[in-house]
Amino acid sequence: MPKAKSPLRRLNETQSAYLLLLPFLLTYGLFLIYPFFRGVWISLHDWNLLQVAFNPDAKKFVGFENYVRVMWGRNIEWSPWARPVLQALGLLGIAAAVTLNRTRRLTGATGIALGLAGVALFLIAGVYAGEEGRWFDRRFWPTVGNTVLFVALTVPGVTISALLIAAALNRETRAMGLLRTLFFLSQVLSVTVVTLIWQIMFSPRQGLIANITELSGGSPITWLTDERFAMAAIVIATIWWSLGIAMILFLAGLQDISKDLFEAGALDNCTGIRAFWYITLPNLKRTITLVIILQIILHFQVFGQSHLMTQGGPNDETQVLVRYIYQTAFRDSELGRASAMAVFLFVIMGAFSIVQFLVGREEKD
Amino acid sequence: MLSRSYYWLVLTLSIPAFLWLVPTIWMVSLSFQPNEVLARTTSSTFLGLVPIPFTAENYAALFAFGQTPMWFLNSIVVALGMTLGVLAVSTTAGYALARLDFPFKTPIAVLCLIGLMVPEQAVFIPLYTMFSDFGWHNSYHALILPRMAVPIGVFLMLQFFKAIPKDIEEAARLEGVSWIQIFWHVMLPLARPAMMTLAILTFLYAWNDYLWPLVSAQQRDYFTITLGLASIQSNFAQSEGLGRVMASGVIASLPVVILFLIFQRYVVQAMTAGGSKG
Repeated sequence: MPKAKSPLRRLNETQSAYLLLLPFLLTYGLFLIYPFFRGVWISLHDWNLLQVAFNPDAKKFVGFENYVRVMWGRNIEWSPWARPVLQALGLLGIAAAVTLNRTRRLTGATGIALGLAGVALFLIAGVYAGEEGRWFDRRFWPTVGNTVLFVALTVPGVTISALLIAAALNRETRAMGLLRTLFFLSQVLSVTVVTLIWQIMFSPRQGLIANITELSGGSPITWLTDERFAMAAIVIATIWWSLGIAMILFLAGLQDISKDLFEAGALDNCTGIRAFWYITLPNLKRTITLVIILQIILHFQVFGQSHLMTQGGPNDETQVLVRYIYQTAFRDSELGRASAMAVFLFVIMGAFSIVQFLVGREEKD
Repeated sequence: MLSRSYYWLVLTLSIPAFLWLVPTIWMVSLSFQPNEVLARTTSSTFLGLVPIPFTAENYAALFAFGQTPMWFLNSIVVALGMTLGVLAVSTTAGYALARLDFPFKTPIAVLCLIGLMVPEQAVFIPLYTMFSDFGWHNSYHALILPRMAVPIGVFLMLQFFKAIPKDIEEAARLEGVSWIQIFWHVMLPLARPAMMTLAILTFLYAWNDYLWPLVSAQQRDYFTITLGLASIQSNFAQSEGLGRVMASGVIASLPVVILFLIFQRYVVQAMTAGGSKG
């Protein structure tokens, strides 16, 4: 080892530590911590992108007005039967959380998360604009609703198909390795390649899907411009794109299940689908929970698919939260309102991150 | 012992696996067909999945004119720059947090952990205004710097360094080797596999990132290939011809696909690590 007489050599442990931490802490503070608080600060201002760019004093402090203008309205009321189906679903979630927790089928954090989700659904779905009332921003909550719908379709789609494929591919042979590669390949593509492929796949004139429908005598669907199919189209593209990571995480989880369990099960004639149901699923519970939460976080931030494939259309059916933030900020130049929405997004993502952290920690011990 | 049911399983699974690949095959196949043919029909041979009639003209045109080669180079510069930057700040900070004792260690670690919760989408507006104030937009460093602040790499390296036995370090300390030298000469060589994983994770992210480049790079000269591809796909049928746009898509995917096929093990590790920790 070189015995250089550099001043670095004389540093004690604390000095060395801070010297090594310095580059990261600088970028971290400057490009993540500071922007985060600055975002909150912008959200408290009436802040027009163009006006402030020309004159830094053109912003005005307005307190929480942006939040009110985005999320609230006139004569907003709450009732337990404003949206009966959704609210019943929320109550069902609460009931399921309580019973499953009692019978110890669900552990602490997962049960609490399910219960809280039920309470939130019951309360939020009950809010509506009363007589002569209206929302200040008519597009915000429908946009959040679309995002939730997108997540609610994509996450089960990815989870179930990835789980089945992973369970089937859980063998260390060359053929299985090759099949895994094929399923995983689309995961490394960029969002713009994925949307490029699927735009033309779905095209009613040139698309592969339309070509197949025409061969079988049907008339092609205008997937991306039909209100009934646009959301389905971006969900299909997303499932195709992001199946790989869920599959890999499930395969990692499957590795941890002892082979003895399956051998013991085989003695009791528990093989194939029965083995999947009675051995694989119960032992994979923690991985499944983590994959679901991870995907909720990931897909709630959907942007490119909606922005490039459907431009949020038709008729705002596929408008999602991040795209709305982007447009409010950079098309409408309303940085204050856009930042308020970004803070809303952060709160939701943060809540799921905390659940993810708790679940990940709880069941490791 | 491979039973008959195993071969049936492989055979059955090959069908969905092939279907999964079809969209990608189709993109590649279309990129090798003449634009005049594609304007008429996209299902010449086997639904268009086989490039007959064949031409390589789309690729030749791509490199002869248009901005795709420049966007490609921009992506290389940004992805490599980001990878080096993330490696530099993550290995140093990860080592300090994992192996050294110093005042305020726990608060700093917790502060970094909290940063994992902040999604890019929650900070891209303030970042935009900051970079505007600095006059930094439309530059490579504007595309690189924000990702260096994401603490995921620090945690990957921290976990790796924590697993190394203490006595390696203690022996060196007894000989009077400084902490910085231990980091540079002992720890970094050991950390190669973890650095490889982190490098691939970062490179993939950098190559595929869309939202921040969309906001920051407004001049076409500073587009990354991902962003450039987005800008030409909205009106592909009229302007450049379907075959050429698909060729751009193939070019844009080539580096990450090659990276994936060569370093599959690391890519899977990187995605698992990146995935399970946000």
